[in-house]
Amino acid sequence: MAAPPRQRLEIIALTAPAYLWLTATVFLPLMAMVYFSFLTAVPVGGRTASFTLAHYVSFFTKPVYWFNAWRSIELGIYVTAIALLVGYPAALALSRHVRGRWREAVFLLVILPFWSNALVRTFSWTMVLREPLNLLFTYPAIVIGLVHAYLPYAILTSYISLQAIDESLIEASRSLGATTLQTFLRIILPLSMPGVLAAVFLIFVPVIGSFMEPRILGGKDAIMLGPIIEGQFTAAFNWPLGAALSFMMLAIVLLLLALAAPLLKRQLGSL
Amino acid sequence: MRRLSQAYLGVVLAFLYLPILVMVAMAFNRSALYELPFTFDLVWFRALAGNQRLLAASWNSVWIAALNAVIATFLGTLAAIAFARYTFRGKQLMQLLLFPPITIPWLIIGTSMLIFFFWTGIGRGLHAILLGHVALSLPYVIVVIGARLQSFGPTLEEAAATLGATPVQTFLRVTLPMIAPGVVTAALFAFAVSFDQFVISYFLAPPGTSTLPVEIYTAIRKGFTPEINAVSSIIIVISMGLMLMVARNYRFGGE
Amino acid sequence: MPFSTVSRRLFMSLAASVTALAAFRPAAAAEGELKVLNWQGYGTDEKWALDIFEKKTGIKVVHDYFNSEQEMLTKLRTSPGTYDVVLMNNIYVMDAVNEGLVQPIDTGKITNFDNLTPALRDSERFVKDGKHWAIAWVWGLTSFAYNTKKVAERPDTIEVLWDKAHAGKVGWRDDALESIQLAALATGQDMNKPADLDKIKSKLEALKPQIKTFWSSEDEWNKYMAAGDYDLAVYWSGSAARSKKAMKLPVEFVVPKEGAIGWFDGLTIAANAPNPEGAAKFIDFMVSPEFYVRWDTDVGAPASANAKANGELPADAMNRTILGDPEVVKRVQWMAPLSDEQRQKNQELWDEVKTKLAQ
Repeated sequence: MAAPPRQRLEIIALTAPAYLWLTATVFLPLMAMVYFSFLTAVPVGGRTASFTLAHYVSFFTKPVYWFNAWRSIELGIYVTAIALLVGYPAALALSRHVRGRWREAVFLLVILPFWSNALVRTFSWTMVLREPLNLLFTYPAIVIGLVHAYLPYAILTSYISLQAIDESLIEASRSLGATTLQTFLRIILPLSMPGVLAAVFLIFVPVIGSFMEPRILGGKDAIMLGPIIEGQFTAAFNWPLGAALSFMMLAIVLLLLALAAPLLKRQLGSL
Repeated sequence: MRRLSQAYLGVVLAFLYLPILVMVAMAFNRSALYELPFTFDLVWFRALAGNQRLLAASWNSVWIAALNAVIATFLGTLAAIAFARYTFRGKQLMQLLLFPPITIPWLIIGTSMLIFFFWTGIGRGLHAILLGHVALSLPYVIVVIGARLQSFGPTLEEAAATLGATPVQTFLRVTLPMIAPGVVTAALFAFAVSFDQFVISYFLAPPGTSTLPVEIYTAIRKGFTPEINAVSSIIIVISMGLMLMVARNYRFGGE
Repeated sequence: MPFSTVSRRLFMSLAASVTALAAFRPAAAAEGELKVLNWQGYGTDEKWALDIFEKKTGIKVVHDYFNSEQEMLTKLRTSPGTYDVVLMNNIYVMDAVNEGLVQPIDTGKITNFDNLTPALRDSERFVKDGKHWAIAWVWGLTSFAYNTKKVAERPDTIEVLWDKAHAGKVGWRDDALESIQLAALATGQDMNKPADLDKIKSKLEALKPQIKTFWSSEDEWNKYMAAGDYDLAVYWSGSAARSKKAMKLPVEFVVPKEGAIGWFDGLTIAANAPNPEGAAKFIDFMVSPEFYVRWDTDVGAPASANAKANGELPADAMNRTILGDPEVVKRVQWMAPLSDEQRQKNQELWDEVKTKLAQ
C-alpha cells in the first residue's frame, strides 16, 4: 500500500541517508561482484571474459561446494542455538533477578569482551583448549570459540527486548493465577521474540561466512564454505567462482528466512 | 529461584571472561613464548611504549571506531524508526538489503570495495576504511534499535500525538528516551564492529598506516610477543573506564 | 539531560566528523622515499639493512605486505603509482609483464649484475624482448624439516610424512599448488605436468591420519614445532635456516631422494613507480654480498642468486651444504608458471581433499 505523500517524504528522509551510504559503499561494489560472478574470468590483463552460469551451476553439481555450504550452515545452527540457549537465560536472569547498580555493572561486563581483539581472544582460546581441555584443532573447538565470540549479541539483544516488557503485564498475569512458567511461556517469551530474532540475525549470518576462528581453532576440521570462498581470492585467481558461491550463500540465508517467516509472523502476530 | 538464576549468570560471565583473563594474565608474564610458570613482569608494557607502529595503529582504530559509532548510530536510528513505525512498499526489500553486509564474507565486500573505490577514485586510506566500517555497522544498529522499537510498540507515540505533540516533539520527548538503551547499545556495537574490523581495514589501508586489528594480524603472522596482550589489556581497561563513566551519568540498564 | 541537548550534540559531532573526514587525505609520497611490497619478514624489511641503506642513499623505505601471491597481484592492479619495488616469484613475472604491471630494469644500474648466476639471472621467466623485467634475488627449496629430538634417524625419503609412526604429528601447509607438487614428487610424477591426478588425490587423502593441523605462516610453524605438535612438517629451506638459527629450534631440513620443489624469486619495479631510481639502488643493495651474507648469517635466508655472495657464506651454512650440493640440486624439480585454469583446477582438487580430511 502506498503511503500518503507527506508520510512518504518522512520515510524517504529517514531511510535515505543510511541507504545512500550503503549503496555507495556496499551495493554498488557488490553489483560489480555480481557481474563478475556471471563471467568466465575477471576482465583484467588482456583476459577475455564471456557470460556463463557455470559457477552457479557448480554450486549444485559439485559436492565440494554444496557439502561445505551445508557444513557452514550446520555450524551456524549449532553456534546460534547454543549461544541462545546459554545467553537467553542469562538475559532473563539479568532483567528479572538483578537490581540496581549491579544490573548496569553486569550489562557492562557483558559488552566488554567486544572490545578485545577477536584474533587475540581466539589465540587465548588456543592456550586454554590445548592444555587442560585438549580440544584444540577439533570441530568442538570451533564451536566453543564462535559461541564465545557471539554470546554477547545473544545476551544483549535478548536483554533489551526483555527490558521493554511492561512489568504490569507480568503482574496482571500473576494476579490472574498464572504460574511462573505460564507467565514465562505466554507473556515474556513472545514479547521478547524480537530480541531473539535479532540475535539469530546477528549470529547465524556472520558465523556461516567465518573463516578466522575455524582456521585457528579447527585445524583440519576448518574446511567450510567461508575458507573455500577465501581461497578463490587468495590462492586461485577465481573471483567469479568466489563471488557466485558467496551469493549462493546469501540466497540460502534468505531462503531459510523465508521459510521461517510464517513462524515469525505467528509469534509477532500474537502480540 | 533467584539465587540459582544469579549463579547461572555468574557462570556465563565466567565463560565469557576465561580467555580474556588468560589474555590479560599473559600480558604480565615474562615469557615471550607464553610459557608457564607465571613470572610477573612489566616488560611488555615497556616494549609497547616504544612501539610506535602499534600505538599509531591503536589510535587510528579508536578515532575511526568513535566516528563510525556516531555516524552509524545516527543514520541507523533514523532508518530503524522508518521500519518500525511506517508501512510502505519496498520495506521488505530494504530490510532484506541489510543482509548482504553481514552475510557476504567480508573478504568479498573488501575486495569489491577495493575495486570500486579504485574505479571511482576514492582509493585506499583511512577515509575509505571509515566509509566501509559505517556500512558494516549499519545493519547492526538498525536491527538492535528495531528490536527495541518493536518491543515497545507505537502506543506511547500515538498517545503523545493524540495529546497534540508534533512529530518532532514526539520523537524527542517520547521515542528517543524509549529507545535510548537501544541507541546506546547500538552505538557500542557499532564501535566494537569497527574497532575489531579486520578484513575491510586490511584491504583499504594505505601502505604504512593501519589499524590495530591489522597490526595484530601482521604481528601474529610474523611472530607475536605479549606486547599484543599488553595493548589489548590496556584497551579493555580504558573501555571499562569509559563505560563506567557513561553508566554513571546515564541509566541504560533500563528502568 | 534533556534529549534536545543530546540530539543537538549528536548533530554537531556529526558535522565536525564530516569536516574532519575531508582533512584526512593520504599525504603525497615524499622525495627520498621508497615503497616496497613483499612478504613480511622476508629480508627487505630487516631493520639493520634499512638503516644501512638509508645512511648510504638517504632514502627511507616504507613496507606494505601481502599474505598471498594473489594478494600481491591484486594490490598491484588496484594501486598504480603506489609501489616501487615488488617481490615476485618467477612464475608470476611474465604474466605481470603482459599485464603491464612492471617496468623493465636498466641492468647497468645494478652493480652486482655480473655476479648473479646466469641460469637464474637470464631466465626466460625474467627476460623478454632482450630486457630484464626482474632481477633474480633468492632461490630455495620446499620440502620438509624434522624435529631432531623427536625423530631419531635423519629421514631420506618423503614417504616418512605418510609413516604411521608419526600419525597425528605431521605439519602440512594449506596450499593447493604445494600439496599437489609434493604428492607428485611422492608418486614419482612430473610436478608441473602430473599425468595421474587421481593418484595424487588419493596420496593426499592418505594424509588424513597424519596431519595434526595446517600451518600458514613461519611463526605458526615455529610455535607448533616448539609446542610439540609436529615431529615433521613441510617447510621451506630459507625458513628452516631461520627457525634453526634465529628461533633456536632443533630442526633439520631434508631433501629426500624423491626430490624437492625448487623456486626462485625476483625483485621487480612496478610500472608507474614513484621512485624508480631509488628502486634500482635498493635492488642492487639486496643482491649485494654486504646485505646477503649478514642476512643469512644473522637471521637465516634462502640461497642468493648472487653466486659470489653465496660463496662468502661460512662453510657450514645450510645454503652451502645442502643447496650448494650438486647432487641435491639434481633432484630438484623447478616450479613452472600455471594458467588460471590450472590453478583453479588445483584449488578445487585441494578443497575436495580437505573436505575428505575433515570427515
